[in-house]
Amino acid sequence: MLIGTALIAAPATAQQVGTATAVNPLSETTPPGAATVALTVGARIVHKERIHTTPTGTVQLAFLDKSTLSIAPNTSILIDDYVYDPNSSTGHLLVSLTEGALRFVGGELSHQGQASIATPAAAIGIRGGTVTITHDKNGTHVINHFGVITIHNGGGTVVISRPGFEVTIMNWNTPPGQPERITAAEITHYLELLTSKRGQNGGVPGLKTIAIGACGILGLQSTNCPNTPWIATDNGESDAFQLIIQATQLGTGQTQHAMTPRQRPIR
Amino acid sequence: MAATSDDGVTLQVDARRVFRKRIAGALAPIAILVFSAISASAQTASDFANANPLFQGILARPSDLNNTLQYAASASAGNIESAIGAYEQLLFYNPTLSRVRFELGVLYYRLGSYDMARGYFQSALQMRDISTELRQRAEDLLTIIDKKLQPDQFSGFAQTGLRYQTNAGAGPGPQGVLASGRTFDSRFFSQGDWNWFGAFGLNYVHDFEDQNGDTFEASALGYDAQQFKLHQFDIGLLEFRAGPRFGIPSDSVNGLSIKPYVVATGAVLADAPYYDGIGGGLTVHANVGNVALDPYVEVVQQSFHNSTFYPLAAGLSGTLSTYALQGSGPVASGMAWQSRVAFAHASDNFGPYSYDVYAVDVWLPWNFSFPGDGRIWTLTPTAGLSSWLYNAPDPTIDPAITPRSTEWRVGIGLDIPVWKQITLGTLLQYRADVSNVAAFSMHDLSVSAGPTFKF
Repeated sequence: MLIGTALIAAPATAQQVGTATAVNPLSETTPPGAATVALTVGARIVHKERIHTTPTGTVQLAFLDKSTLSIAPNTSILIDDYVYDPNSSTGHLLVSLTEGALRFVGGELSHQGQASIATPAAAIGIRGGTVTITHDKNGTHVINHFGVITIHNGGGTVVISRPGFEVTIMNWNTPPGQPERITAAEITHYLELLTSKRGQNGGVPGLKTIAIGACGILGLQSTNCPNTPWIATDNGESDAFQLIIQATQLGTGQTQHAMTPRQRPIR
Repeated sequence: MAATSDDGVTLQVDARRVFRKRIAGALAPIAILVFSAISASAQTASDFANANPLFQGILARPSDLNNTLQYAASASAGNIESAIGAYEQLLFYNPTLSRVRFELGVLYYRLGSYDMARGYFQSALQMRDISTELRQRAEDLLTIIDKKLQPDQFSGFAQTGLRYQTNAGAGPGPQGVLASGRTFDSRFFSQGDWNWFGAFGLNYVHDFEDQNGDTFEASALGYDAQQFKLHQFDIGLLEFRAGPRFGIPSDSVNGLSIKPYVVATGAVLADAPYYDGIGGGLTVHANVGNVALDPYVEVVQQSFHNSTFYPLAAGLSGTLSTYALQGSGPVASGMAWQSRVAFAHASDNFGPYSYDVYAVDVWLPWNFSFPGDGRIWTLTPTAGLSSWLYNAPDPTIDPAITPRSTEWRVGIGLDIPVWKQITLGTLLQYRADVSNVAAFSMHDLSVSAGPTFKF
């Protein structure tokens, strides 16, 4: 059995699995066996806790395994199951999404393929991975941003293994649709939905500017630079010069009288 | 370092801490290339162990903005998703910061999540606080992303320029060969000359849009150089490559794919057909940590043709087999490394021309911009070493000695942005061959410059 350090240290009713790292009002929480209260930044998130956001509320949760969950307005979730052993980085995570939208950004557990999100229409297994999931009266919508996402319900199983593809699931008994490319408009919509609106501050006021340093700008440093895929490092000159080297080695061995002036190329 | 002002908080990354993290991150990938046995995943595990005090700080004190930024910056070096979580946390605190949106765009770009990257870059461009440099870089990356998201992708370059070489034909110095006591053709001795050169490259990728990421790839590369005086070294080269690339879903290796391909090459030398080759190869691509690896095996049937200047060329015909490992990855701010380690065996019709060659080359492209101007300059130091081991003595050179040569080469290139997609490329290179046969020893210093158009 996997038991995290936090689980050992705390009573079973208050097992901290994460922290509310950003909260825009009004967002509410219902810990197990307790009354519903307003969620605030820094609140400990515990096993079996329910979180609900109003039309203006958004939340970000950070879990012990370094995964994060951004929760959109009008969303209800339940931290169904969370077990994490920080020493072996093993365990499992299960979040139920009843309605609304969320973005899960993977941590240690999803890297082991041990993160799942359940909706009324599908069970979504996450390996990797980063995913946006919505659920409303039209069903569940799953967008893969990174990793391998396995969508399973009573109608079958579909895997999304490429970023930028989405699958729609009408209900539990209807087979999931085939992966389709996401549109730019959908991405823009969810980026706006899953963070603060202008004028909101996630419960932490005062952040005005940020100086990170651009990748490659003189005098500044950043670790966050785009990958550099293998590119051809010459324009053919190297191959051409190698042919010339060989040809010259051959030519050097020829005796001078072997050629006449007429044989020289005319320019 | 963090500073607090009356009207809010300004955050700044501890650059030294980040740099040390980056260097540590870069060393593991280099070790992978050299030893081929060390997994870069260890980098992630060790660097971001669960006892990470910065992450513990996020859980305990999420409103400690400086702690969150330091964690985001350090995680960027090896744990991209965790860095995304931290930057998205900062975005909750102020959704109007272009810098945070740009960083998130780069992180998603590094994951290969180009749709998300595009969304963040586009939103960064709409923020009032965006600087000229950031706008330029975001627009540059958006151009690349737009290309990557097309089912049919074209890219390439065209280049022209002038080059001066102290030894245009890579010939031996006359003193060395005279000392050997043998008679050689002096027109192939070391001589300086100018040339005009032109080159182009065209790459095509068709994305089948399936979940494996299968594609079809084709490329063409052309090069032509016309000497001002030494026309026996006028050369033209054309090469085509094409083949399907099959994605391989893997839990442990990111971006794994395999590509069989065909290759066809032709060359003219001194205005006469000189060489053609046809063959095939197999290459694998894998991302291990921050390192991209591209090992390949290639076999080419080579045909050399005798000509007026090169009446012995046909003896070089035969089979060339190459086994190589290419790799690339980041080093530090804006600097990357690329490397190729190769072994090739040529089995030629005329036995003494057959050879084995071992080669290693390293490139260190460094992209930088000047403050106030987001355009990217690229400085690329290069170095390489090859060891040539011939099978038998060449009777036309020295019937008593089996040639052994070591070639080393160093260079430095500077790519200067001029206007839009046009840059001015300059290159300074030095090569030297040291051989036990005087006729094979040479050295050459070359300098070249000319405009390049990239698309």
